[in-house]
Amino acid sequence: MTSPSSGDEPVERMIELRLPSRLGYEKVAMDTASSLARRMGFGADRVEALRTAIAEAVTNAIEHGNAQDSGMRVLVMLTARPDELVVSVADQGRKQLDQDQTTPSPRIEDAFSRQDKGGWGIWLIRELMDEVEFTVAPSGGNQVRMVIHLER
Amino acid sequence: MELSFPSELGFEKVARDAVAAFARRLGCDRERVEDLKTALGEACINAIEHGNGRTPGLHVDVSCFGSEDRLTVEVRDRGLKRYQGGDQVAGIDLKLRGLAPRRGMGLMMIEQLVDEAGFTESPDGGNHFRLVLYYHRT
Repeated sequence: MTSPSSGDEPVERMIELRLPSRLGYEKVAMDTASSLARRMGFGADRVEALRTAIAEAVTNAIEHGNAQDSGMRVLVMLTARPDELVVSVADQGRKQLDQDQTTPSPRIEDAFSRQDKGGWGIWLIRELMDEVEFTVAPSGGNQVRMVIHLER
Repeated sequence: MELSFPSELGFEKVARDAVAAFARRLGCDRERVEDLKTALGEACINAIEHGNGRTPGLHVDVSCFGSEDRLTVEVRDRGLKRYQGGDQVAGIDLKLRGLAPRRGMGLMMIEQLVDEAGFTESPDGGNHFRLVLYYHRT
């Protein structure tokens, strides 16, 4: 389904998913993305990396960007291209992400002292994906664009 | 939850996995989720092949709503070909004996798998197909 097509037909295919901002729904995004990635030919370890990165991005959007307001939506866009999968996760920006927070190098000592052991999400996303970019979504919310390359 | 995907065979499998994750999240048991996946796959194939004529630029839209006792899934296409209802669907016996067209098996199967299924009013001109699954079988 991702083979290049002839003529003027676009070779990229996009899936859009809109989820309520409630913890637990990140699993829907993880399962949808891994279903697509497997069918594109990604290996099991890359699919796991993708699942983890999406889980972090979507829980950030639910908890921080949309401040757990279940009326707000998280938009996940999956673009399948012949040689890569582009995943973009956008929230409605109840809380804007500070640009300083997008290039973290968290220290394990600090994480231990935090009640929630949090603060590793963005670092993890950068470790797992091939390209990562934080921008402002057309809706005005926070958006993270992640790319994973298909190595054959 | 809303999902939108290109009208190309294969994407119905991604839709099945997305809706299955949503149904599990609502607490549907394993067996019911499998029934829903099969029924939804058939409904999506109908939308891809007939409603959207396999035009990748046209998308199939799927919406899922959970309420207290049921999960409702709606599958919408652009209606390049409208479902021509009305006629009584021929039974499986006639189909197997070659006395009725083989087509229409998908709809027969869907009806067996979920608690409610059928086309609904669609003011925008596309086909709207609705599937309802009760969390607990009655």
